[in-house]
Amino acid sequence: MDIDWITVSAQVVNFLVLVWLLKRFLYQPVIRAMDRREQTIRDRVDDAEQREQLAENERKTYQDRIAELETKREELLEEARQSARQTRSQLLDEAREETAQARTNWMREVSEEKSAFIDGLRTQTLEVVESIARNALRDLADEALEEKMAHALARRIHHLQQELRDALRDSKDAIVVTSAFELSPPVRSALTRAIHEQVGPTVAVDYASNADLICGIELIGGGLRIAWNLSDYLNELTTRIEKAFEPVEAASDGT
Amino acid sequence: MTISPDSIVYWQWNGVTLNATIVFTWLVMLLLAVGSWLITRNLSEGPGLSRLQNLLEVVVTGIRDQIAQVSLQNPGPYLPFVGTLFLFIATANLLNIVPGYQAPTGSLSTTAALAICVFIAVPVFGIANRGAGRYLRHYIQPTPLMLPFNIIGELSRTVALAVRLYGNIMSGTVIVAILLSLTPYFFPIVMQLLGLLTGMIQAYIFAVLAMVYIASATSAQEPGKKNTKTSPPSQER
Repeated sequence: MDIDWITVSAQVVNFLVLVWLLKRFLYQPVIRAMDRREQTIRDRVDDAEQREQLAENERKTYQDRIAELETKREELLEEARQSARQTRSQLLDEAREETAQARTNWMREVSEEKSAFIDGLRTQTLEVVESIARNALRDLADEALEEKMAHALARRIHHLQQELRDALRDSKDAIVVTSAFELSPPVRSALTRAIHEQVGPTVAVDYASNADLICGIELIGGGLRIAWNLSDYLNELTTRIEKAFEPVEAASDGT
Repeated sequence: MTISPDSIVYWQWNGVTLNATIVFTWLVMLLLAVGSWLITRNLSEGPGLSRLQNLLEVVVTGIRDQIAQVSLQNPGPYLPFVGTLFLFIATANLLNIVPGYQAPTGSLSTTAALAICVFIAVPVFGIANRGAGRYLRHYIQPTPLMLPFNIIGELSRTVALAVRLYGNIMSGTVIVAILLSLTPYFFPIVMQLLGLLTGMIQAYIFAVLAMVYIASATSAQEPGKKNTKTSPPSQER
């Protein structure tokens, strides 16, 4: 248990020097290095967290954008569908209208053609029948026929109503009897006698001839016209022909 | 048989002696300082680091953690003093296995010097932390009657520090020396291994006790303030 105080003091100094040396070369550098490393790691972690946050934000942004695009796409598709439907129905309507128009035009043309045809037919028929009748009657026409026609006219006068007879009697001008052929004197006298008997003995009667009457005879006076000729028969023929075409017209109108 | 390395004198001049204690202390100091300097010369601050730097970081971190656990304070100001106590004593004791080496801690002069350092460091840290008035006041607490006992306690624990370390290391050395003469081959080695363990434990105890004394001076509880400091280890050798 011996203590050398010189050694003790030397050791105290040695220890203090060692404290300084180790502080200088060991503790400070090591702690500084560790602190810096820790700082570096913390910085990196912070940086990574920031980046993660940033990436997350970006992700959300893009997701929102994608959803938005999806919605827009749906809207556009729906719009396009709607527009296609509208166009389709519009085109269909137009086509229907055009068809109807074309059909109407065609019907009108058909109707016009038909009426033209009927008119032509009637005209031709009339002309043919008229020429046949005219020729036939011309061939047949003689005094006897004239006489018969005069008789027919006399019968008509006979069957005239009383007012009409009065009208004939009260006419200021003479009664004019027109025929296709010149009437023979006996026929004339017979006819004049008949008029006098039926209408009145004072009535003046003139005679004239007109080839257009087609084998007919007519009496004009006091604003009245009493006639017998083939035109009436021909008119009836025309009426019958038109009636015969009516079913055809009805059928073509129905289609 | 020499008991203390103080008595091994290599050089003497005019009353100044260069004995084995001082020489081996210098050796240990050189080893620690140069070793630290070599390793910390190019420290890595990135994630990759050398094994030796890793070792140093483990040691420094371990000491800091121990100081923080004992003092419940920021270990920064106490690390150089307490850490150096531990490293010096541990290194001096571990080198005991080197043949011809005389542990400086086996000299009462060295342990007394270290204990004196602690004895001085306690009031220095205490006054630096709390101010002279408040530091000195804790000597008369709980009553002024305790003043002599507090002073005696301070002195006796310093002596105990010095003698405990000295006794343990010296006894280990002496036992090995005695056993060498009795059973030369196997048994001394076992005792030497035991001496290494004892040396480490003593280094730890010395450093922790020093820290406890400093902590008690820097954070002695105020009247009515809750005691947060760790009580000193009761098991002391």
